[in-house]
Amino acid sequence: MSAYFPTMGLEIHAELLTDSKVFCTCSAEFGGTPNSRCCPVCSGFPGTLPVLNHKAVEYIIKAGYVMNCEISRFTKWDRKNYFYPDLPKAYQISQMPRPVCLSGNVKINVDGEEKIIRINRIHLEEDAGKLVHDDVNRISLADYNRCGIPLIEIVTEPDFHSADEVIAFLEKIKLLLQYAGICDCKMEQGSIRCDVNISIAPKGSTELGTRTELKNLNSLKAITRAIEAEIERQEELLDNGERVIQQTRRFNEQAGETVAMRSKEDAHDYRYFPDPDIPPIIFTEEELLEIKNSIPELPEQRIERYVSEYSIKKADADIIVGDKRVCDFFEEAVSEYDNPKAVANYIIGELMRRINLGEADMDALKFGGREFAKLVEYMQTDKISQANAKTILREMIENGGDPKSIADRDDLWIKEDSGALAAVVDEIIANNPKAVEQYKSGDRKVFGFFMGQANKALKGAASPKAIQDYIRKKLSE
Amino acid sequence: MDITKATIRELRRALDAKEIGARELCGEYLKRIKEKDGRVLSFITVTENEAEQSALRAQKMIDEGKSSALTGIPLAVKDNICIDGVRTTCASRMLENFIPPYNATVIEKLNAEGYVLLGRASMDEFAMGGSTQTSAFAKTKNPYDLECVPGGSSGGSAAAVAAAFAPAALGSDTGGSIRQPSSFCGVTGIKPTYGRVSRYGLVAFASSLDQIGPIAHDAYDCAILLNAICGHDRRDATSARRDVPDFTEKLGEPIKGLKIAMPKEFFSEDIDSVVRERVTNAAKELEKQGAVLVDCSIPGLKYAIPAYYLIACAEAASNLSRFDGIKYGFRGEGRTYEELIRDSRSRGFGEEVKRRILLGNYALSSGYYDAYYKKALALKQEIIKEYNEVFEKADVILTPTAPTPAYKIGAQDNDPVKMYMADICTVTVNIAGLPGISTTCGYTDGGLPIGMSIIGRRFDEQTILQTANAWEQGFTPVAPKI
Amino acid sequence: MAVELKTIQHLCELSKLNYDEEGLKKVMGEMGDIIDLMDEIKGFDLEYDDTKDGCEIRFCDTSEDIAEESAPAEKLLSNAESIDGCYVVPKVVE
Repeated sequence: MSAYFPTMGLEIHAELLTDSKVFCTCSAEFGGTPNSRCCPVCSGFPGTLPVLNHKAVEYIIKAGYVMNCEISRFTKWDRKNYFYPDLPKAYQISQMPRPVCLSGNVKINVDGEEKIIRINRIHLEEDAGKLVHDDVNRISLADYNRCGIPLIEIVTEPDFHSADEVIAFLEKIKLLLQYAGICDCKMEQGSIRCDVNISIAPKGSTELGTRTELKNLNSLKAITRAIEAEIERQEELLDNGERVIQQTRRFNEQAGETVAMRSKEDAHDYRYFPDPDIPPIIFTEEELLEIKNSIPELPEQRIERYVSEYSIKKADADIIVGDKRVCDFFEEAVSEYDNPKAVANYIIGELMRRINLGEADMDALKFGGREFAKLVEYMQTDKISQANAKTILREMIENGGDPKSIADRDDLWIKEDSGALAAVVDEIIANNPKAVEQYKSGDRKVFGFFMGQANKALKGAASPKAIQDYIRKKLSE
Repeated sequence: MDITKATIRELRRALDAKEIGARELCGEYLKRIKEKDGRVLSFITVTENEAEQSALRAQKMIDEGKSSALTGIPLAVKDNICIDGVRTTCASRMLENFIPPYNATVIEKLNAEGYVLLGRASMDEFAMGGSTQTSAFAKTKNPYDLECVPGGSSGGSAAAVAAAFAPAALGSDTGGSIRQPSSFCGVTGIKPTYGRVSRYGLVAFASSLDQIGPIAHDAYDCAILLNAICGHDRRDATSARRDVPDFTEKLGEPIKGLKIAMPKEFFSEDIDSVVRERVTNAAKELEKQGAVLVDCSIPGLKYAIPAYYLIACAEAASNLSRFDGIKYGFRGEGRTYEELIRDSRSRGFGEEVKRRILLGNYALSSGYYDAYYKKALALKQEIIKEYNEVFEKADVILTPTAPTPAYKIGAQDNDPVKMYMADICTVTVNIAGLPGISTTCGYTDGGLPIGMSIIGRRFDEQTILQTANAWEQGFTPVAPKI
Repeated sequence: MAVELKTIQHLCELSKLNYDEEGLKKVMGEMGDIIDLMDEIKGFDLEYDDTKDGCEIRFCDTSEDIAEESAPAEKLLSNAESIDGCYVVPKVVE
């Protein structure tokens, strides 16, 4: 057991899902050929001025509400001044003394235990551009497409004491932002990013140790590994009687260790001052209420609804709501076929199983919830056998299409053809006199054998119930 | 026609009456510029091609009966207002070859009216100065005395109008940069209320103080230009959502009963006696027309210079950080980003600009922010309060525009403090965001013009234009001999 | 009052400006005089209240979220050194 305990706080940057950038009218979409989503404003041309995107402000207010923050009635914008080639104005428009959101909290669950993480503040700012380094020619290439994409920065209190807590929190935030329609939270595209402030102190100590800041962490896995590596590094330092130096570090994934980034002392004097180009904003109670009321159903409410209204097991509801894409798919399916329990079961039992096997990709499904719902409905109403339903689902995953046309094409419907059923079963009974005798002498287990044989021969052309009824009838003759 | 005294109204009449064509008219001005600007140096760039093209377009508008107030009217534009495809230097080596990829909103508005661009007027580098002697390209001289400064920073604009190289010009005013050169060059210039004119496309010096405005032969022409350039702009969040009146509407209305305040601090010993005397005489004239003179006080004036320079330079330091040699502008040398940016800025900016950047960063840097920048903002609130109090008992305020008439070129070289102090009469108007107009109220014995400033309530340009116009009706200006 | 060399050097760092030895001496003197002038403001003793500037705008006056066409990249890059549609920056030392 370690003699220290770690304390962590997070700074999370999330890009907002606005159509246009936060201070100009360029598209806020991800990517694009270099500098194709730029204008004189976001490229920092002399004489240009920023104008604030209404929607971006609306989104940060929503973010504040879903994290139980206080929303300031008076908010203003500041310039954070520093030189870097990805920042064309040489200042970032951000918020310092008067952010939109203050002091909130978010509940997390770790190993069955509930914990509250306090939010210090959430403020609105603009993203910077991207640099591609060309080491051979000793140059960097600057692309400003990302400049001016609206970001919120969520700053937590130092309330974390393990990597698990950090991950649980990030997963929670991700869901909240996704369900509120604020951010798509694609870590791999950088639409949500997390910096970790981390320090350790001897157990029992009431004072925090010197902290370091871990930056450029681009996956949950990297965050866990970086935190563990950094804790280990700090422990070793203290064990050897050395000091932790306050600095910014990045995580080297290959080596599995954190590395100090070059930091210049002067670079930290950001000379914040109110941006004279953007007047402060005053919100009315009505405006805030309207935004609050427009927040869609959040994950916790959904789980509750699924359990109470749909009678879905809590564990299953957790799974469905735990991935917004799955949950949206589920909602669509239920709107087509009002049997939430069956839909949920088939999503979890079949669809997600195949996704986990890597056979399907939730981001690139070739069919929608409606088609999926039809399939479940056919199965539930004995129109298609379970075995054939699986075949159809595989076909839908591979080539798309709706279950009806696939069943039509491949002749997969259950046919209530009593002649065919009678012929097949009669033959099985005729060919297996021993088994018939066993059944008649009271060995009911043998019934399964007849069912299996019949199913095999009928290939789903009759419903299990019809087969069962006919076999039972014949055997009792 | 004689363009040396022509107002915009007269040119409009002549153009509409087909007494002169738009091309011919701009040709006359271009000819005069070619002949005489070599001595005055009011232009950095003369845009003959653009002038020709826009004159043709304007003539077409006139011929089709679609002319408006400025169709075919040639204008000079200060070299810090961006024009798409036209070199815009801010009189700095930094932007020597800079071609903006977009138009300032005021240029869009003037284009819609079919104005004709004669050229880019010189100025102090990045509008920092009061003499146009910090210009890297054209250190403009005063048309009344070529050994004197034209004032600044819009010295090129004011000199061009005074010398009749253009009937009017656009300038910009951060701490007096329209009014003071108008005063030195014997023309009329107005700084509108902060927010009245869009700043989009004006290369920022101090964003909370900058305002574009016209310089012309008289208040009437200023009103005509204001009509064209004012109004809310969705590209400028600080531009006011307010209806724009017809600024010529109240011109000619008598000023009987108008209450004119003369704050005593503006008439102290620090102001040249000849200036005080001419402005006081003008006040007496206005009194004869029925105005009522009111005593008042702006005690905050005592701290106005530091407050102004702290705010302006803090904003400027940040605004000018974007000039790094990467995206546009002078690209220095360097193997690393750090080296390149330092070399570009050190060689691209002039000495005064650098001093102001240093001062701005001083005011904002950690440990000094509260003592300087925040204090200056407190003072801004105080000055606004004091002006509000004055406007409770007066309609306009009358002050000298500058403590002195135009001074000899070189007189303030190497003395930044003296240079800063000379802005004392104008800076509080910017700090308080008020409109102010400077018009000539007399001449020194040597024939140098002296200006007075009329300051109004926020968004009440109409009353100061009316007052200036009332004064101008009884005043005969003397044109410079060049 | 003269400004300390250390202060001027810090300001040059923040401002990204270089001076040669002579230039530095000169600007130190000038900045000393300028800061003396600025110091007069210390005689004024009112506090700043940022909520009382009276320049706020209403939330509904912010800009609608509508994406419009961007500017052509060639035009934006026409004042710069560029490769493959990007601005060329000398290597940023990490």
